[in-house]
Amino acid sequence: MNYTKQIQDIAGRLFSEEKIDVFIGYRNTGFDENQVPVLINQYKDVDQLLFTDKSVFNLANYLKYEHTRNKRVGLVVKGCDSRALNLMLTENQVKREKLFIVGIACEGVVDETGGKAQNCVECVMPDAVVFDEMLGTPSGKRDYQENSDIRALDGKSLTGRQEYFEEVFENCIRCNACRHSCPLCYCSNCCIDQETATLYHGANTTSSAFHALMTWSLHLAGRCVDCRNCEKACPSHLPLHLLHKQNEKVIYENFQEHLAGMIQDDRGAFYKYSLSDPDDFIM
Amino acid sequence: MARVGVFVCFCGANIADFVDVPAVVEEAKKIKEVKYAIDYKYMCSDPGQGMIRDAIVAHRLTSIVVAACSPRMHEKTFRKALSDAGMNPYLLEVANIREHSSWVHQKDKKAATEKSSDLIRMAVAKSMANEQLHEISVPVTKRALVIGGGIAGIQAALDIADARIPVVLVEKSPSIGGKMAQLDETFPTLDCSQCILTPKMVDVASHPYIELLPYSEVLELDGYVGNYKVKIKRKASYVNFDTCTGCGACWQKCPVKVPNEFNMGIDKRKAIYSPFPQAVPNKPVIDAEHCTMLIKGKCGICAKVCEKGSIDYTMQDEIIEREIGAVVVATGYDLWDPKPYEEYGVGRYKDIITSLEFERMVSASGPTGGVPVRPSDGKIPKSVVFIKCVGSRDEAKGIEYCSKICCMYTAKHAMLLHHKVHDSHAYIFYMDIRAAGKGYEEFVKRAQVETAATYLRGRVSKIYKKGDKLMVRGEDAQIGQVVEVEADLVVLATAVYPYKDNSDLARLLGISYDKYGFLSEAHPKLRPVETAKAGIFLAGCTQAPKDIPETVAQASATAAKVCGLFAGDTMLKDPMVSTVNTDYCTGCQNCVTVCPYQAIITEEIPLGHGSKEIRTVAKINEGVCQGCGSCVAICRSMAIDLAGFTDMQIINEIVSI
Amino acid sequence: MEAEVKEKIVSIEKPHVEAPPDWQPVIMGILCNWCSYAGSDLTGTSRLQYPPNIRIIRVPCSSRVDPWFIIKSLQTSADGVLISGCHPGDCHYISGNYYARRRFLVTKRLLNFVGFHEDRIQFSWVSAAEGPKFAKVVTKVTEDIKKLGPLHLYKKENISQT
Repeated sequence: MNYTKQIQDIAGRLFSEEKIDVFIGYRNTGFDENQVPVLINQYKDVDQLLFTDKSVFNLANYLKYEHTRNKRVGLVVKGCDSRALNLMLTENQVKREKLFIVGIACEGVVDETGGKAQNCVECVMPDAVVFDEMLGTPSGKRDYQENSDIRALDGKSLTGRQEYFEEVFENCIRCNACRHSCPLCYCSNCCIDQETATLYHGANTTSSAFHALMTWSLHLAGRCVDCRNCEKACPSHLPLHLLHKQNEKVIYENFQEHLAGMIQDDRGAFYKYSLSDPDDFIM
Repeated sequence: MARVGVFVCFCGANIADFVDVPAVVEEAKKIKEVKYAIDYKYMCSDPGQGMIRDAIVAHRLTSIVVAACSPRMHEKTFRKALSDAGMNPYLLEVANIREHSSWVHQKDKKAATEKSSDLIRMAVAKSMANEQLHEISVPVTKRALVIGGGIAGIQAALDIADARIPVVLVEKSPSIGGKMAQLDETFPTLDCSQCILTPKMVDVASHPYIELLPYSEVLELDGYVGNYKVKIKRKASYVNFDTCTGCGACWQKCPVKVPNEFNMGIDKRKAIYSPFPQAVPNKPVIDAEHCTMLIKGKCGICAKVCEKGSIDYTMQDEIIEREIGAVVVATGYDLWDPKPYEEYGVGRYKDIITSLEFERMVSASGPTGGVPVRPSDGKIPKSVVFIKCVGSRDEAKGIEYCSKICCMYTAKHAMLLHHKVHDSHAYIFYMDIRAAGKGYEEFVKRAQVETAATYLRGRVSKIYKKGDKLMVRGEDAQIGQVVEVEADLVVLATAVYPYKDNSDLARLLGISYDKYGFLSEAHPKLRPVETAKAGIFLAGCTQAPKDIPETVAQASATAAKVCGLFAGDTMLKDPMVSTVNTDYCTGCQNCVTVCPYQAIITEEIPLGHGSKEIRTVAKINEGVCQGCGSCVAICRSMAIDLAGFTDMQIINEIVSI
Repeated sequence: MEAEVKEKIVSIEKPHVEAPPDWQPVIMGILCNWCSYAGSDLTGTSRLQYPPNIRIIRVPCSSRVDPWFIIKSLQTSADGVLISGCHPGDCHYISGNYYARRRFLVTKRLLNFVGFHEDRIQFSWVSAAEGPKFAKVVTKVTEDIKKLGPLHLYKKENISQT
């Protein structure tokens, strides 16, 4: 999968026609072939841009920040990235007319082992769902499949799961990188930082990490697109996708909703209800 | 620095017998912020409230905790005590140590005492985060909606309209009158029902303050007390009421015959019909389900014979919208279908009828000329068996309550039978005779003496056919024997039951109902005409079975409530509403989506101090907000908080124990 | 009379500590004002009895319940949480309980996923007329939590009350 030339052409054209102020894409670093996000604001830097199966990061995250607010932005989005962008549009965080969206019909990115990333293997929508220009041939929606790690954990006993997650919460250092890197975590005053709900829990303790990660994942329930920005950013390498995929599974199995960000103007599952939602778990 | 006062009530023996009140007071004193704690026998009494008022001043208290009965009982009372002392009334919290402690843990005084101390701890902690709140002034639309045009709705509408308040009266059928219009005579006076009802019906039609919408149904009710918007569907009658004179030429000529609902199906009416001669409005409607013209496009006789040209087959249903301030629900009752009594042969034997069918038969203007007849052969019955409690008081058939009116109307039916068929004999199978109203016991006595009716105390187990008679087998418990009565006609006093769609209406209005479908009053003893939803009131059998005098009293009571609500041009509203902290709001508008009252809109504010750029945030209309807190919990940024149940108050409660 | 052999109560989540002999669980109850709180008042008026372990917080509607109420209750003194609201279709605020029940399901499953026994967090619909049901619900929840033992998972260290 290589759209380097096409992206450079598009970005170049947008700058020369003065249609955008900044273009968000990927560039190489000096180390290996790791790519990092880059914000380009002039024509002459366009040749830094590239796109391969190592273009992992969800660039929609950058629409949260000062560098792009109220500017005209061009950006590259894969399937999952564009779903996050769809939700940001629905939730009024960014204006559609200010964006030029280059959508990719993604064939999946690789993880650190060089093999296809887990979320790409299980991907439900590789093609960008919102775009101005599409690169690649769309392959269409795929069936939802349960995350393989979730299935494995479900098979564990209660104690087994408890032990597993105790280690996760213990290793969280409350650096907030997960929040920072998630496109849908855009609240300027995060609830987890507020004293009321946390009881002075800013501290780096297991119980505070438990509260923070539970609350964070519940706020992303029905909104998470499984781009794995959070896991990539986490310095403790916590398997954060487990919490999100668990919520996604419960939502998928119990509520008749589209998956997060698939449809325009579709809010997450918690902002809607159905008269036939299950309540056999309620006495 | 918080200075909390704790006032613990003995509530006579209600709390004191099961909770060690003095110990609870001592425990409260140990809380750092509690600067004053005391107990008293009856905190809600005048001296009790006086203690609170005095302590507020003497000890410079900043919030008050009263540990007593449920806040649902006396929160208002104690709030008033605070205002009387010059303190904001919302700086009060109530710890429920009666309904939630002393009354439910009677076997373990130690545990009940500990729990009461915990509940006080929670209330103290919550009260420290209480803020001074001020009631919100909202405008009031001075118009009432009355749903249901039976005697309850008619009385309520007349009383409200007489107070010069406009009323919209909505009735489902083509005419007002309800069940009372179907009655022959009413107990205990044997007044002619229609004679006492029709003057009121005419008053309704001619009252300058009543807008009568017959043949109409309520579709939607939005808003909140003082500010409701109702959508009403006025069904197409296909008759122009302005030009129609009610001459009756149309229904005389109509060829279609349909079972007559007003006469319980005993005779037939036409597809174009007026339900009964004294109908108000006295204009016919076309039943679209049976009119040949409307279904097949053929016939049209009524239009041809109408001299005024009032028939209009192209008429459509009309949607009418009105702004109103209060609603009276007076949708009446249905009679329970006795089909489950298979042992009585219901449905199998023609000569088993319900009490309302009997009532129509004995009515002078009824389908059988005022004389009861056997449906099977049209003969006049001589031996009539009346069975009371058919459905009512029968757990096996699913109805536990007593329908209240059947004992009286059965005695009445015995009288009417005797008047109409002089050589008849009535047998009445009963469990009890409930005649508690004014003149009721005397009436039943009179019925028993004048008609010599045979009252048999016992239940009927079976009815079977013998030749062309019905054999009614039951118990005569007073002689302890099974008896069999040969009957020409059997009349079942079936239970008073809510209409099938009563609970649908309740959901539409946002009010509660019980397991049968009767609408729920706010408090069974002290608030029998209000519902839990402010501005919506109940009158008549829609709330519970009752007779006509009680119905009329309840209807007048709702009118008094409505007039009270409309007494000023504005009303004061509970200040426990949500507000948005625009510093935290991200403008995602998820709150707008979930608010049940559409109380949230957006506004644009500067991005920061002195910034020219703008951002969108949420804005809550405090007049519309009902304080549910849906938006508070849905807001990820915790940008919204609900006064009276703030995040701080709740977290304080959680950590205090 | 022989001394009863009392079944030892051991925490079901780790650490599997034995509960002290006189241990009584604490149940945090969050009830909606219009249905469940009214129903619980009716329980009291009817003098129906239930175990004294529950501590009730009143909210206007079940939709006011944010998942952090549950999380924070479990992290402080509660061994179990009971949340109760109006039956679907009967919410005093029309639709509150519909939104709430979605959050309830996901929260309950998530907490179970990370190691809490599912009976630690329970829900009920109790109407204002269901005094007896409330007593039954509280009794059941208290017995369930008693069997599960004290909760030690992710408790907040050093709670200080301001």
